[in-house]
Amino acid sequence: MPIVFACAASHAPGMTAWTEAAPKEQAEKFLGSYRQLGERLAASKPDAIVALTVEHWANFFLNSMPTFCIGRAEYYDGPIEEWLRIPKARVTGDATLSAELIDACLDSGFDPLFSDELLFDHATFLPLHFLNPNMALPVVPVIINALTPPMPSAKRCFAFGEFLGKVLQQSEKRIALIATGGLSHWPGEAQHGRINIPFDKKFLDNLITRDHQQLTAYSHDEINSEAGSGGHEIRTWIALAGAVQKWKAELVAYEPVAPWATGCGLVAFNP
Amino acid sequence: MSLYQVQKLIYHVNRDVERREHYRQDAAAFAKKYDLTEQESSAILNIDVRALYTMGVHSLLLRPFTLLNKVSNEDYAKALKGLV
Repeated sequence: MPIVFACAASHAPGMTAWTEAAPKEQAEKFLGSYRQLGERLAASKPDAIVALTVEHWANFFLNSMPTFCIGRAEYYDGPIEEWLRIPKARVTGDATLSAELIDACLDSGFDPLFSDELLFDHATFLPLHFLNPNMALPVVPVIINALTPPMPSAKRCFAFGEFLGKVLQQSEKRIALIATGGLSHWPGEAQHGRINIPFDKKFLDNLITRDHQQLTAYSHDEINSEAGSGGHEIRTWIALAGAVQKWKAELVAYEPVAPWATGCGLVAFNP
Repeated sequence: MSLYQVQKLIYHVNRDVERREHYRQDAAAFAKKYDLTEQESSAILNIDVRALYTMGVHSLLLRPFTLLNKVSNEDYAKALKGLV
């Protein structure tokens, strides 16, 4: 069975850790949309979730930093952040699906790291909290380095996504494919709190108009200056756009939430 | 310059409970285990946010490290004021 659901979602920790710092109406609107997206995911009856995700020094350091890493664990614990206000849980993996993805990659010119033990930080755990309530579905994480340079190019992320999409379309399982991160934010930086709404809207427009030329043309420097160090996470969204190229992107929500210091977006992709 | 060593120390304090305890008990002795210049060691021991930031410590290593050392959002922003 193929990919049965796809969406991209931001994961600003403030969404759960300091929800009430945001204007009530704005927070409720965004988080309500997030939960509804979770209901749509469940309604597609997937067997597993494949998460195109990132991490924030949870597992890897500069002594060994993978460009792409596919988790092959039986389970993943998280979240690592005590302050996230999401209960700790053990998320079941799907090591068989992981192995299939890794083998397919190595047969076809992609050489990701694989890992039998990964912790989830808010990057993966927060979206799962909304999209996979009670952690009911098994998850396979595909981590893209959007943390520290050098990072894979937008073009390479798109191609990696395109390849994973083809493999997953032929899987025996029904797959929900999610991407997590972005949009513009400058966490812990001198410009912390800045949100570049024009950049976010342009990027969302690129997704909606399926402007694959522009999506693959974003340079590291442009993302860095226009969307901040956190903006590099749009690489997961670009990979997702590569995976479901013919699907229509639907803007579910966009809220530049100042107290969460992030341009928060939710996009569903429909076949 | 040993930015790598500075970040390694911070990463260890942030992510490793046992090492964090050693750091809390005797930060100066803990810092000696890393190959730091005098300036780097002093920036670490004084929690000099601006110095650590400008030497290039990753913001997502630095902010959690400064939070563990009870640096408020206001003080953190103040320390970085004027930087791009």
